[in-house]
Amino acid sequence: MARLSAPTVHDSRVSRRRFLGTAGAGVAGVLASGKAPAFGQSRELTFLTVASFVPETDKELKRQLDEWGAANKVKVRLDIIAHLQLVTKKASEVQARSGHDLTALGPGLGDADLYFDYLVDLNDVAADVAPKNGGWLNPNDYLIRGKWKLLPWWMPPFPMAVRTDLLEQLNEKNPDTWEDWLRIGKKGKAIGHPFGTALGHSADANVTLLSILWSYGGAYVAKDGRTVTINSKETRQAMDFVKRLYTEAMDQEVLAWDDASNNRCLNAGKCIAIHNPISAYESAKKDKVLVPGTQREIAEVIDHINTPRGPVDRKATTGYWCVGIWNFSKNQDLAKDFLRYHFQPDNLSKWVEAGRGFNMPFLANLTKHAVYKSDKQYRFIPEVAKVSVPPSWPGPTTAASQQVLDLYIIPDMFAQHATGKMTADQAIVWAEKEMQEIYAGRKRRP
Amino acid sequence: MNSAARWTRRIRPLFTVYVPVTPFVLFALFPLYFMLVTSFKKNAELYDVNAVPFLIGRGVTFGHYELLSKDTLFWSWFLNSLMVSVAATVISVVLGILAAYPLARLKFPGANSFGVAIFVTYLVPPSLLFLPLSTVVARLGLSDSLWALVVTYPTFLVPFCTWLLMGYFRTVPKEIEECAMLDGCNRLQTMLRILLPVAVPGVICAALFAFTLSWNEFLYALVFVSPAELKTMTVGVFSELIRGDIYYWGGLMAGACIGSLPIVVAYVFFLDYYVSGLTAGAVK
Repeated sequence: MARLSAPTVHDSRVSRRRFLGTAGAGVAGVLASGKAPAFGQSRELTFLTVASFVPETDKELKRQLDEWGAANKVKVRLDIIAHLQLVTKKASEVQARSGHDLTALGPGLGDADLYFDYLVDLNDVAADVAPKNGGWLNPNDYLIRGKWKLLPWWMPPFPMAVRTDLLEQLNEKNPDTWEDWLRIGKKGKAIGHPFGTALGHSADANVTLLSILWSYGGAYVAKDGRTVTINSKETRQAMDFVKRLYTEAMDQEVLAWDDASNNRCLNAGKCIAIHNPISAYESAKKDKVLVPGTQREIAEVIDHINTPRGPVDRKATTGYWCVGIWNFSKNQDLAKDFLRYHFQPDNLSKWVEAGRGFNMPFLANLTKHAVYKSDKQYRFIPEVAKVSVPPSWPGPTTAASQQVLDLYIIPDMFAQHATGKMTADQAIVWAEKEMQEIYAGRKRRP
Repeated sequence: MNSAARWTRRIRPLFTVYVPVTPFVLFALFPLYFMLVTSFKKNAELYDVNAVPFLIGRGVTFGHYELLSKDTLFWSWFLNSLMVSVAATVISVVLGILAAYPLARLKFPGANSFGVAIFVTYLVPPSLLFLPLSTVVARLGLSDSLWALVVTYPTFLVPFCTWLLMGYFRTVPKEIEECAMLDGCNRLQTMLRILLPVAVPGVICAALFAFTLSWNEFLYALVFVSPAELKTMTVGVFSELIRGDIYYWGGLMAGACIGSLPIVVAYVFFLDYYVSGLTAGAVK
């Protein structure tokens, strides 16, 4: 009679029944827990960010991540996507409770409110990095429901990019107000060089039109973050100005512009000025684009000056790009550690330099970085940064304020009036109703 | 008379066929032509509003193709797209055949409802499905791997293939299958040896469609795969060549041109099958 014996650890043979049992239990365990087995796993920090318009910025970030990983014996991975894809990616990672450890957030601080329950508190990191960098520029702006749910990372300030040769031709000097730009745009349009700012569904349209609204003393929400204040005489004045700007100084194509269109208009030699970061200039320089009909490089005749002021104020906004840590990340401490490393003055400085100043951090010392003195083109960027406020100004950033931006209510309101489809009052009433519904729907339970 | 008749016979198609077809051909080829022309233009010319957009006026450059090859992982993306598309197509067509056959041939309660349900499934847009699928992919541990795409693409390919093949299988006379069964074939053998050889145009048509849909897919590839070396071509090109408010138009068009080639080649080889596969269910 054959002797039956239980398999031992020394027994190299594995019965079919045992194999199936073990494999089945393993698969069931993985499916039930939703996690891969722990053995064989090494620590890996993953970081999702958006492609910078200056590729060197991403290379420097990768270098820092690799350097930090090597020093801490952590595997690292930097994934880069186009900024337009970030919304979808964030939504899917939150839905699956799985994804990257560190993630870029934005544009705007609204993600902190929208994903408040999914982001790690960064109060400790914010407190650590501020003193080393001269402090945060406007710390109260970055607190969402009283907490640091993200670190404001970088912004591309919006100066006015202008064609100096055309200004000279029109005998115009030192334009400084929005009214100056209306006058210049009108003259420019007459000689085939209109002013250019988007009036459609694009981030640039939000930025420039909010800048104009504030410069005329208007705002869409009050400081309490609840009261919609778009229906005001200041808004009417701003809208009348934009209507004149559109009809007298711009081409109709601005209604269909995306974020790249104004860059193209300037670099094509058509627009006399655009309200935009330095990206148009940098790409003109890189591609050696010529002034049409000449052998002169267009970058030589582009200058950047301060964002215009209005009758009441000089204010601007921009894309507030931030960084945060998902609370479903398994490497929260590592992620915080890397943030501390990246926000060290030396590392931030190298990163700003790599980006040629396009990526200005929200830290006081970095706004005085040497890169802003390295080219006369950059001289006004720190000035613009000083007057830059979050898009929800004077209210706090909330999911509702972010939705107002995401639905392009401000550009639609201005465009409806500028194109004559609505009177100023009709457009304002429409926008007010939209905003009130958004703010009512987003009201949080006490 | 003879020569006049011959001349008329020769010239007639020019006016009855070629001239009427020409506008449609131009319309269809224009995007490809524009992509090709743009991909060979220098950046300075691309920015010039006075330049003729349809012609290359300041010399040809291969710089955009160099940019793709040297500064990006384009060829890895191309290969990833190819692998995922082929795998998803094979899986989907096999499953589609297995689903379509019983729905087209067997009589069982709810057969018609199943058919309609499959069609309705195809109508659910990926923009609604990607969020729940994210959870499924994460639970399966397939995130950030090409398997995530091989598994998820059939969610929209299988219903499509099934629906298309159901229509085609119904055009094949039942009698030839019944003859095979009389000769001793079982149901599976009948399907494999009799029905499928007859239904090759339909199967190729389904495969072509499935391959095209997989090749062009963007949303799932964006959401389920992040590492640069694992991206598919649609996502990789978009990620690397749109940087903030700067679009690398030349590079984007070069990527689009190369990306069109496999589809063009596939359709050139299988065009006849494709047309007959599409039209087979149109008439009884």
